[in-house]
Amino acid sequence: MSNSAQPSIRGKTAVVGVGQSAKVGRVPGKSPLALSVEASLAAIADAGLERREIDGVLSAHSFAAPFHRFSVAVSECLGIAPTFSNTLQVSGATAAASVNLAAAAVQGGLARNVLITAGDSLLTGMTPDMALRAMTESRDPQYEAPFGIPVSNTFAMTAHRHMKQYGTTPEQLAEVAVTMRRHARQTPGAQMTEPITVADVLASKKVTTPYRKLDCALISDGAAALVVTGAERARSGPNKPAYVLGGGECYTHEHIFLMPDVTTTGAVQSSRKACDMAGVGPGDFDVAGIYDCFTGTVVMMVEDLGFCRKGEGGPFVAEGNLTHGGRIPSNTHGGMLSYAHIGIGASYFHFVENVRQLRGECGARQVPGAELALVHSLGAGFACNATTVLGTAATL
Amino acid sequence: MTAKPLPAPDADTHAFWEGLREGKLLLQRCRDCGHVQYYQQATCRDCQSAQLEHQPASGRGVVYSYSVVHRAPGPEFKDDVPYCVLLVELDEGPRMIASLAKDVDQESVDFDTRVVLEVEQVAEKVWLPRFRPV
Repeated sequence: MSNSAQPSIRGKTAVVGVGQSAKVGRVPGKSPLALSVEASLAAIADAGLERREIDGVLSAHSFAAPFHRFSVAVSECLGIAPTFSNTLQVSGATAAASVNLAAAAVQGGLARNVLITAGDSLLTGMTPDMALRAMTESRDPQYEAPFGIPVSNTFAMTAHRHMKQYGTTPEQLAEVAVTMRRHARQTPGAQMTEPITVADVLASKKVTTPYRKLDCALISDGAAALVVTGAERARSGPNKPAYVLGGGECYTHEHIFLMPDVTTTGAVQSSRKACDMAGVGPGDFDVAGIYDCFTGTVVMMVEDLGFCRKGEGGPFVAEGNLTHGGRIPSNTHGGMLSYAHIGIGASYFHFVENVRQLRGECGARQVPGAELALVHSLGAGFACNATTVLGTAATL
Repeated sequence: MTAKPLPAPDADTHAFWEGLREGKLLLQRCRDCGHVQYYQQATCRDCQSAQLEHQPASGRGVVYSYSVVHRAPGPEFKDDVPYCVLLVELDEGPRMIASLAKDVDQESVDFDTRVVLEVEQVAEKVWLPRFRPV
């Protein structure tokens, strides 16, 4: 249980608005900035706010946009002058890190209404130079890039070792992809909805051992946005607030060759901190958002987030525990594997979906009675891990 | 063919890259606490002492993990596909990224395979570490 004498963001703020670009996937002719602003305006309207009431803006970097300070470009585009703003860079962990930071900023009085947004045009908007910049985002130019490591390779090496150490099979990895595709088929606007089987995954083109094409996240255009505000204001808004109950993070290394153990990650400490702050345990969650850049990443995460024991992630996912009726329905929108992968900001969509789950807005893919959600973001070959716990008023 | 990315030595790494030119993989050893590190930096990662000295590695280690790349990260590596990237654990303790030496059969690589360092000249002033199964 959380110690009430410790500083805590528990229950002090809530996500009150969610939004996304009208379309995700192949969206030519719209810049990342335009996509982000589209998502932002949707989230601000969803929150029942006016754009000028936004006084804080957090964003991720965008590869297909020329800005060094994307968050500042967003506020300029929106015609506002926030008193709190940052373009965070902890690779894919940026989403949960942004929500945690927004909660702390609101609680600390640095801003009243924080817009959090990410958008990119990885599919249709990248020049060769931008693509190269994206490729080297997680690669050390001296110790790694000369060996031709693709973005996937670092993650692949951890998954490959996990298979060796724990007997995780390619079929178990494939089940993650099949599940995400099934979820996407129920989600309007998902980028990939053609049904796939385990056999399809195993027959898809090899990328880097052990990953094949269908083990890997998509490449997409699109944007998502959230609005975070104080709990009291949240209660008088138009939607059921999704309260931020806990936040935790962990940054264990910068280089894969300095990762203490390639099969157990900082997600352990990150989620433990968030859960302790929230006063809950892994067994209490109804629904989750798990960063799914690759199938094997999800297998390692269900272990490190405490949903099953270390080494048992393979059987856990193969037994249907990531979907409705299973232990922890996750990425009910289809995740990065089938809904969309917009780069650094990909798991902002996981937040949008989990907030909608807590509101009861997910229709055919609703997890009945969802009150408590865990969203975990990670990046840079597990260098960065960040976790947020969200809950309805019943969980306060 | 597009040129591959080459390491650009900086203040922390000049000696390391020059060592490879002489066929040596230089590790940093802390004179204060004995910690040995591969990634070159100004201080010891264990005790933060600046009393570091270079020490050539034996060049021996094991394959801790590996991944065979079938889809190149860019046009400059397209002709090499498929190629094997290694995460080697040196006998001295530290791990490092490298790739397989030329003409090594990828089938001969597995977890815990013992490997030995060789260096390959890839540009006028650049030598890269490679590993070969023993």
